[in-house]
Amino acid sequence: MSEQGPLIVIVDDDFDSLEIIRNILEPAGYKTLCFTEPMEALQHMAIEKPRLIITDLMMKFIDTGFAFSRQIRFDSRFSNIPIILITAAFSQRRFAVQPQDKRGLEKMGIDAFFDKPVDPDDLLGKVQELLGQSGKEQGK
Amino acid sequence: MNVEKPRILVVDDESGIREGCRINLEMEGYDVDVAEDGFAGLKTFKERGNYAVALIDLKMPGMDGLELIEKIRELDQDVVMFVITAYATLDTAVEATKKGAYGYIAKPFSPDEIFLPIKRGIESRNLALETKRLRQERENRLLEVAFERSKSNTIIRCMTDGVLVINRDKQIVLRNEAARRIIPGCENLPLPASLSALADLHEIIDFLNETATADFKPGIISREVAIGETIFMVNVSPVMEQGVASSAGAVAVFRDITELKKLETAKSMFVSMVAHEVKRPLGVIEGYLNLILSGRAGEDGQKQKEMLERSLIRARTLRQMVSELMNLTAMETGNFAIKRNPLNISTVVKEATDSCLDKAKEKEIDLSLSVEGPGGQDVVLADKSAMFSVFANLIDNAIKYTPERGHVEVRVENAGNYVKVTVRDDGIGIDAGEKDKIFDEFFRARNKYTARIPGTGLGLTVAKRFVGLHQGKITVESAPAQGSVFTVFLPMWEE
Repeated sequence: MSEQGPLIVIVDDDFDSLEIIRNILEPAGYKTLCFTEPMEALQHMAIEKPRLIITDLMMKFIDTGFAFSRQIRFDSRFSNIPIILITAAFSQRRFAVQPQDKRGLEKMGIDAFFDKPVDPDDLLGKVQELLGQSGKEQGK
Repeated sequence: MNVEKPRILVVDDESGIREGCRINLEMEGYDVDVAEDGFAGLKTFKERGNYAVALIDLKMPGMDGLELIEKIRELDQDVVMFVITAYATLDTAVEATKKGAYGYIAKPFSPDEIFLPIKRGIESRNLALETKRLRQERENRLLEVAFERSKSNTIIRCMTDGVLVINRDKQIVLRNEAARRIIPGCENLPLPASLSALADLHEIIDFLNETATADFKPGIISREVAIGETIFMVNVSPVMEQGVASSAGAVAVFRDITELKKLETAKSMFVSMVAHEVKRPLGVIEGYLNLILSGRAGEDGQKQKEMLERSLIRARTLRQMVSELMNLTAMETGNFAIKRNPLNISTVVKEATDSCLDKAKEKEIDLSLSVEGPGGQDVVLADKSAMFSVFANLIDNAIKYTPERGHVEVRVENAGNYVKVTVRDDGIGIDAGEKDKIFDEFFRARNKYTARIPGTGLGLTVAKRFVGLHQGKITVESAPAQGSVFTVFLPMWEE
């Protein structure tokens, strides 16, 4: 675990999902902090500001992930932190959660979207892209 | 019309006339009977009946001709009667006609003199009979039509589906009671009314306008239409009159399918919930395998082993979920066969407790079982495997959601006509807001305490259904961080 790597906060109510993402990011040189509850993540973020947030959508209630990302977007301290949403989201009539394009992402207040399970290389590529040059340097 | 020969009765006390008439009339093709006086004539008439013509002598001993005519007329409205008389006077003729005679023939007469009147008489009788038959037929048909019409009206009125009939001028010409009730604005509309009077229903109006045209081809057009909160399936078919090629209008039948749609929505919600619940563990398993295969789990054998173990747990939970789901479906479709036998519930609860001992030991949880009250007070008519699954589930849950070195206490006791089984733990408990949901399909409390705990979200659902199938009840009391108490009541079996 590289202490110098950019900090990424991961929020998911499923322990195994957290483990999988942590095991993708840590070998690539990122520092991770895992939370099963959004409130605890927010409390910690006030102390240590992450460079990126990865969150699940289906937490407790259907839109906890949305509420979480909105809270971050409207908080001036965090509003520029990129958010990646990873979810086993379902779509059905009148409730299509998967964003279809860039506008859809913007509407949802997130920067990227992945379906579970996420391909490690895809996730790392997106993380590097969102963190920009600094992310690349820190990456393996 | 009459295939059989017309029958003629000759009543005369002069045998010469009787036999003369018989011979001549039989030669003309008639069926002839003769009688020698009024009594004999009346007797013959009564016995054989259905005479077309009667020739009756006026002057006879005993019952005279006039009296006989009167008596015969009472019996038969249609027979044509001729008076034969040697004393033809205007008075007697009038009198005879009043009594119901058709004409009279003066004695003496030649055969030719009677043929023509008889022939005319028969024609006249046939005409009268035919008229009578037609009148009767018409009356019958009118009755039938009235009956059929009122029958159709009654059927249409009593239909649960709304019925509107629209003519080609786009006017509503008929509506039934259900249509009045379910179609807004339809109730007090005076008929015929223009379709556009139903202002709120532009969607339907457009649809009906399209269909109520002359070239609307036979067949049914169906469309789902929402009127406020209600969803209707509207089936429209043309009104085709017999022998006319073009449509005279349209019949629209409105069926309320709101409940059906709700069920449909609930069903597809459930399916997508199941899909999601299946996808989640599969995603985890795939994620772990991917990490191991891509070398991201490192060379550390211990780490790989942990990931494989977690995958196995998730795979097992998924398999368990699928079988619980199958149980639920079987129960819903009534295909779940429960075999009820008198059971000592304490025995089943002991088996369920024993099956959880290893798990309790792993977490150093104190799992205890106590059976209260006199023996034999715990007999329930129940399916053993269903009961085992209920209690194993409750005890397994209690252990899962209780931290290490906690306590799980199982108790069987008597409660009036019920056997009461309590599973009490001092675990993480349930939030007040989630207590009502824990028996719902796929509901799982999701927080930092439960993130690692595998569960199908169906265990309690199945347990509740099983208990319900046995006319029992399951309740829960809980407070966060204080623990939970699940109580099952089952009706005691009395021989």
